Amino acid sequence: MTALSDLTRPWAAMSYGFLDASAKREMRRKMLKAIAVPGCQMVYASREVPMARGWGTGGLQVTLTLVNPSSTVKVIDQGADDSVNAVSIRKFLSRVSGAKETWDTLEATIIQSRHRIPEELMREDQVLVLQVPNPEPLRPVEPNMSIAREMHADADYGRLWLILYEQMVRSGRIMQGASYPALVNGRHVMTPSPIPRWDVPKLHMARHLTFLSAGREKRIFAVPPFTSVQPLVFSDVPYRVEDHAELTCHRSGVTGYFMNEIPQEDGSSAYEVSDSNLGIKAIRTRDGEPVKIGETWYRKGAMQ
Amino acid sequence: MAYVATRGGERAIAQSERLYRAGLGTIDAARVAEVKRALPWLVDRVMGEASLYEPELAALALAQTGGDLYETVLLLRAWRTTQPRLAIAEPVRQERLFTHRRISAAFKDIPGGQILGPTLDYSHRILATGVLEGRPLVPEPVELAAQPAPAHQPSLSAWQKAQGLVADPPREEVAPEAIPDLTREALLFPAPRAHVLQSLARADTGGVLALGYSAMRGYGNAHPTVNELRLAEADVRVKHPRGTVFSAGCVKVSQAEVVAKEAGGIRLGFAATLGWNEVKVISAATLDLNASGAAKGSAVEEEFVLYHTEPVEASGFCIHFKLPHYVTFQSSLDAIRDAKAKTAAAAKAAAPATKTKARAPEKELTE
Repeated sequence: MTALSDLTRPWAAMSYGFLDASAKREMRRKMLKAIAVPGCQMVYASREVPMARGWGTGGLQVTLTLVNPSSTVKVIDQGADDSVNAVSIRKFLSRVSGAKETWDTLEATIIQSRHRIPEELMREDQVLVLQVPNPEPLRPVEPNMSIAREMHADADYGRLWLILYEQMVRSGRIMQGASYPALVNGRHVMTPSPIPRWDVPKLHMARHLTFLSAGREKRIFAVPPFTSVQPLVFSDVPYRVEDHAELTCHRSGVTGYFMNEIPQEDGSSAYEVSDSNLGIKAIRTRDGEPVKIGETWYRKGAMQ
Repeated sequence: MAYVATRGGERAIAQSERLYRAGLGTIDAARVAEVKRALPWLVDRVMGEASLYEPELAALALAQTGGDLYETVLLLRAWRTTQPRLAIAEPVRQERLFTHRRISAAFKDIPGGQILGPTLDYSHRILATGVLEGRPLVPEPVELAAQPAPAHQPSLSAWQKAQGLVADPPREEVAPEAIPDLTREALLFPAPRAHVLQSLARADTGGVLALGYSAMRGYGNAHPTVNELRLAEADVRVKHPRGTVFSAGCVKVSQAEVVAKEAGGIRLGFAATLGWNEVKVISAATLDLNASGAAKGSAVEEEFVLYHTEPVEASGFCIHFKLPHYVTFQSSLDAIRDAKAKTAAAAKAAAPATKTKARAPEKELTE
C-alpha cells in the first residue's frame, strides 16, 4: 500500500523563495502582462510578506518570483548597498533562495532598488526591480484610484500637463523633484518611482528589463528592453536633470554622477557619490586594486 | 552612529533587533499560554484583523512582538498568506449560531429575547487598585438563570422582512469556489459585496472606529440604530472530499446589523468579524450603512473607507517614512535652489521692489 508520505513532499516551514506556488504563479502572470503593455499598471493580489508594507514588499515579491539558486542579487536603498533596509532585504532574499549576494552592479543578475538606478550601464541579462511607494502618476490630480484608472484608459493626461505648466508659471521652472512622470511607449504615463530626474533617461531604450512594483498599492508595471520612456516636457522647455554634473565626491574623487549633499558644520556642503559601490570601486582603483568599473550612462556629467 | 552614514548596516540592524528582544526577555510556551489565558479580548481583536482564527498563534504573535498590535497583525498575516486554502466552509446561518450575547436597541424586546451575555457595559469603571495592594480581584460566581436562554436565535431582520419593513435583497447563487477572496485578489472598485465584507472583517479596529464615529457624529448620511448585535460561536462545517459534511471546529464571531430609518422602509448595514469585538462591528456596520450613495472621496465612501482602514498597509506606510529619503529630498532641493535663484534675479532686474504676495502652497506631484 502507498503510504501517505510517499504522495507528498516532506513538510517544510516555507516554500522555496518564501512565496507559495499559487502566489508565484499569479506574480508571473501579472509580470508578463506588465511587459506586454509597457507602463500600464496591472493589479495583483500582493500577498503579505514578512516585511512591513511600504518597505519594499512590492519589489520583494517580484524578486522572490524571479530569483533562483544561480541568481546574484544586489539591493540598494538611495543608491547604497549597506543602507539598513537594503541589507535587511538582501539578507532575506539570500536566506530564502540561496542566491548569491553582491554589491557590484556588474555581477548582479537582479538588482532591487529603492529610489535609484545604478550609474553603471545595465545589460540585457540583468533585471532591475524598482520599489514603488505610489504607482499612480495621476494621484496629485485624482486621488481616487477608480477614476484615475479611467483616465489612463482614455489617455487623459491633460491635468498632469497642467500641473507642470502651473509650476513653470508660478516658479519659473518645473518644480517636480523625483518621480518625474514619463510617457512609456507613447501610450501610458507612469511614475518611474521616486528616482531622481537624473535617472529617468536611463530607462529610455535601455537594454535591461525594469519592473516597478508597489506592494501596498497592489500595482505592477514594467519597462521592457528597448522601450521609449519620455519625461513629460514642453517642446520649448527641455528636460532638466539635477545640476550635479560638476560636483565631485569628497571621498572617492569621482565627478559627474548623482551626489548626496552632506551638510557641514561650517555651513558649507560636502558631496558624496550616491551610487555608493561606484564610489567604493573608485577608491579601490585609486588604491591600486584590480577592480572593474563598467561603462556608465553618464560620461563627464552628460547622458550618453 | 550618524543616520546618513549607517555604514556596516548589517551589524546595526542585528543589534537593534537584539536590543528590542532583550527588553522582552525569553519567550516560551508558558508566556504564550499566559497571554492567551489573560487577554482573550485582545487575542480576539488580533485574530479579526489578521483574519486568522488561531488563538494560540495570535497569543504567540502578541508575545513575540511584546504587544505592538500592528507588528502582531503583520506577523500573523505573513504567516497566514503562505498557508494553502484547503476547503471552503459552508455558509453560517443566523439560526445556527451558538449565541452568547444578542441585543437589539430597536425594540424593547425581540423574538428570542434580549440576552446580555458577558459584558462590561453596565460595570462601574473603577480601577481595582486593591489588586496592587494584595487584594486580588476574584470574580464573583455567576448565578445561573432558572431557565437557560436558548442557544439558537432567529435573526431580527427575518421578522422585519416578514413585516415588509426591510427589503429582501435578491438571492445570489454563487458556487463556493467562485466567492471572491480578498486574500487572493486585489480590492477594486466598485467592490464586490464579498470583498467589502471581508475587507471590513479584517479592518483595523481603531481605523473603522475613527471613520465610523465621524459618520455617527454627522459626517455620514445615515444615523445608525443597532438592530441586532451578536456575539456567538459558529460551527465551521466543511465538506470532506468523500462528500460527508463535518464540523472542523468552532470559531467565535461577532456581528452587527445597524439600520437607517427611511421613508421607504429601513435600510441595513452589516459587518461581521472573527473573534468578539463589538466596537469594530458596530463601526464597520455603520460605515457599510453609509457607503451607498456616498460622494467619491468622502470619509464614508467605500474606496476611502476600505483603503484607509487596512491595518497592515496603513501602519506599514506610516512607518516607512522613517526610511531614508535623501535622494528624493536632494532632487527637490535642486529645483528649489534654482527657482529661488531665478526669483532673486528677476527681482533684481525689476528695480523698484514689488510687493511679494502670499502664495498658496504649490501642488506637488507626489512621490
